[in-house]
Amino acid sequence: MSQTMDPNNMPILSEASVSVEIETEDMTLNIGPQHPSTHGVLRLVAKVNGEKISSVEPVLGYMHRGYEKLAEVRTYPQVTTLVNRIDWVSGFANEIPFIAGAEKLMEIEVPERAQYIRLILTEMARISSHFVFNGAFPLEIGALTPIFLAMEDRERVLDLLESVTGGRFHPNFNRIGGVKPVAGAGPTTKKDIQDLPAGFYHDTKVAMEKVLKAVDTFEDLIGGNEVFQARTKKVGVLTKEVAEEYGVSGPILRASGVEFDLRKQSDYLPYDKFDFEIPIGENGDCFDRWSVRTSEMRESAKIILQAIEDMPSGPIQAKVPKVIKVPKGQTYVRAENPKGEMGYYIISEGGLGPYRLKIRTASFSNISILPIMLEGALLPDLIAIMGSLDFVLGDVDR
Amino acid sequence: MKILKESGERKTLNQSDQNEFINSIQSSFKNTSYNFDTLKINVDLSSWIDTHKILKKDFNLSFFNWLSAVDWDNEVKTGDAPKEPVTPSFEILSCLSQTNSNNLVISSTVISKENAEIESLVDVFAGANWHEREAYEMFGINFLNHPNLTKLYLPDDYEGNPLLKSFELISREVKPWPGDVDVEGMPEDSIVVEEKGS
Amino acid sequence: MSFSSELLIKVLVVLATAPVMALGLTLLEVKGSAWMQRRPGPLHVGLRGFIFPLATAAKYFQKETIIPKDVDEPVFKWAPAWVIAAVVGLFTIIPLSPTLVVRDLELGVFFLLAISSISTIGVLTAGWSSANKFSLMGGLRAAGQLIAYELPLILSVVGVVIQAETMSTVGIVEKQIEFGFPFVIAGQGIAFIIFMIAATAEMMRTPFDMPIGESELTMGFMTEYSGIRFLIFYISEYINLFVMCAIASTLFLGGYHIPLLPTEWVNFYGPLVLIGKTFILAFLLIAVRWSFPRFREDQLQTLAWKVLIPVSLLNIMVTAIMKVVF
Repeated sequence: MSQTMDPNNMPILSEASVSVEIETEDMTLNIGPQHPSTHGVLRLVAKVNGEKISSVEPVLGYMHRGYEKLAEVRTYPQVTTLVNRIDWVSGFANEIPFIAGAEKLMEIEVPERAQYIRLILTEMARISSHFVFNGAFPLEIGALTPIFLAMEDRERVLDLLESVTGGRFHPNFNRIGGVKPVAGAGPTTKKDIQDLPAGFYHDTKVAMEKVLKAVDTFEDLIGGNEVFQARTKKVGVLTKEVAEEYGVSGPILRASGVEFDLRKQSDYLPYDKFDFEIPIGENGDCFDRWSVRTSEMRESAKIILQAIEDMPSGPIQAKVPKVIKVPKGQTYVRAENPKGEMGYYIISEGGLGPYRLKIRTASFSNISILPIMLEGALLPDLIAIMGSLDFVLGDVDR
Repeated sequence: MKILKESGERKTLNQSDQNEFINSIQSSFKNTSYNFDTLKINVDLSSWIDTHKILKKDFNLSFFNWLSAVDWDNEVKTGDAPKEPVTPSFEILSCLSQTNSNNLVISSTVISKENAEIESLVDVFAGANWHEREAYEMFGINFLNHPNLTKLYLPDDYEGNPLLKSFELISREVKPWPGDVDVEGMPEDSIVVEEKGS
Repeated sequence: MSFSSELLIKVLVVLATAPVMALGLTLLEVKGSAWMQRRPGPLHVGLRGFIFPLATAAKYFQKETIIPKDVDEPVFKWAPAWVIAAVVGLFTIIPLSPTLVVRDLELGVFFLLAISSISTIGVLTAGWSSANKFSLMGGLRAAGQLIAYELPLILSVVGVVIQAETMSTVGIVEKQIEFGFPFVIAGQGIAFIIFMIAATAEMMRTPFDMPIGESELTMGFMTEYSGIRFLIFYISEYINLFVMCAIASTLFLGGYHIPLLPTEWVNFYGPLVLIGKTFILAFLLIAVRWSFPRFREDQLQTLAWKVLIPVSLLNIMVTAIMKVVF
């Protein structure tokens, strides 16, 4: 052997002398598709080293229903039925951007009263969606009580939605040019059509007061809980830049400190008539995401209370042809849904149905950051982070 | 947590700001159109990546919205065919937007069906990853330099690309859709609404 | 009465009492949670909800016991036995009155700590033998947790032992009677809080229920158990709750004694007093369970090693100094 040491061998020697720890192989843990915390049928293939996660690969498609294909063989009014089922927790809100897009292509001016009804019901859908979140998120990190309180309060809002639309989850209430002209109560003859059921304003007022009270309760019971804070603060921090690059939208984006809410920026519904605020988070952690959504419920209740105060009278349906044909054109219309930005790119070739309908859903982009956020996190944090993203599998898989 | 104080008036949706943005896009890119409030840029295949880099850097379009494709063909097995003849091709669409205004740009490029491949956007926008995987399985478009071009939704052994216009919706063949007519029917004339609330 | 017949009677009484207490606490838990969560079901269904625990038990008896193919069968089958044996064994030293006790051991407290750690073996083997990754992680979490919280549990009791100058549970209660105040007021308040926190962790109840953590690990070490074996885990959880609260009331709250009652009648009111105190403590833990989320594993360990153990050591020191001074 030569006297001089081969420099190539040196790093190997030093490495061997340093690594006295026993090297263990990472365990592959299959979380889902049937698991209590994956909101349905998401599957995560996680490589874990003890409690620590080294990598996560989400596997989607267990609920892929092919809505983009199905929309191609349906007429425009029929598509509304489909899009209801994308994010079933806030079914009503899904209809709005699609209907608004079709109206834009047909150049229909929607009556103001119909716009107001749409706005009220969209905000109710937002409140009910955030109620589900306020129940499910604490449940996932181990607090069992909030879900019972949240479900009870949500029921009031769903009852209101049902009294107007006839459906709790899938209202299918929007029509091109307005809203469904059917009574929730009272005579249903064409001469005397009632769009809102009797006593709706009063019931709404009562329910919204209860919602405001419930938000206070949640901020006390959940947000004020030390264990909850210990589990969520500084956990799953998402920076502005990463969020934008991945198209993360809605409350998650706002929790990261981006002041972006289509209700303020866009004009798909007359939000400019109301006085409300946009809650913004500072740290972009799980606690901020919870906090932004909970504050949003309060703002939504405020919007509804204002809207029923100055509800305009007038028709609820614009004049539309009997057979709806959308002229040739392409448009992208987006809306601020409870989960984030939802949009439809409609390509019309002048037929009865869209030639191609691209559905942009919020949860799809929102959970695409999971592999980045979960790298190096602990297993209990995985549950907290997933819960704070508040996704619905129907919204991911479409 | 702070709350953005903003009473009543809308922050942006300033018509002049938006027009300015549209003008600046139209002066920078040759082939643009603005219909139905949607700004669309038609890009050459060769400058697909560069266009996105420019849009991200110079126009502050840092929010990656979505990416998808359209199958243009006159021979269709599902839905209605386009009325005018079109050249069979794939149109790739991507959507970028800003996070301080309602400004939004759709970029579009056309690739041939025989040679269905395009550079991947993942290096510019990491968020394009899943969107490109979806376009790959649904249309069979090959994204070059994609880190992990596998099927996203469909099972690994699934054959065919469902969103192609030549892909039959088999259930429709077995049982035709009954609802060609809108069952409900639209109300006649204008509707009289009476204020019935409390 | 011969020793063997006396032993037989005592064993039978314990075996009859343990499930009854578990049923009572299940009822208390169900009612308490329903009350806290505005749930109508458990308050109204089936004789105002009172036959609910029996219905639950009957349900588990009917269920098929599934033993997965890949499990280590003997270990898997015997794991629940370890757990229930450990908790039922603790009944030995709980005094219902100076004479109504299975055995007043000289080293009663020592016995308590020794026996209670046996359940760790059961939990760990259950997790290990289940051939399920979630079970394995649950078992390992449980082992780490039980070992970490055994220490503050022991150390908090040491203060009581120093003050009472005896390890016998009857002796500790008699000392409190002699003293005039229960130890929770007379010097061992901090030790009581530490004992209750450590006992909650030992019982794996929220906020320390990571070994079960149904939203993370589906059901932790119990994931693969079904039917009667699951019922044994379930019952032993409530027996454990009873035993731990009974011991806490013995050591800190004066046990079977209540002031102003004639001590000659202690054999009659003693059991009732102890069970009453136990149920009050249990209700406290139930209220905690339904108001708090669970900690993270590392936060749990931090709490044990960085807070509870130093504080209980300090408590021992202060108690010892006071003992010498006065």
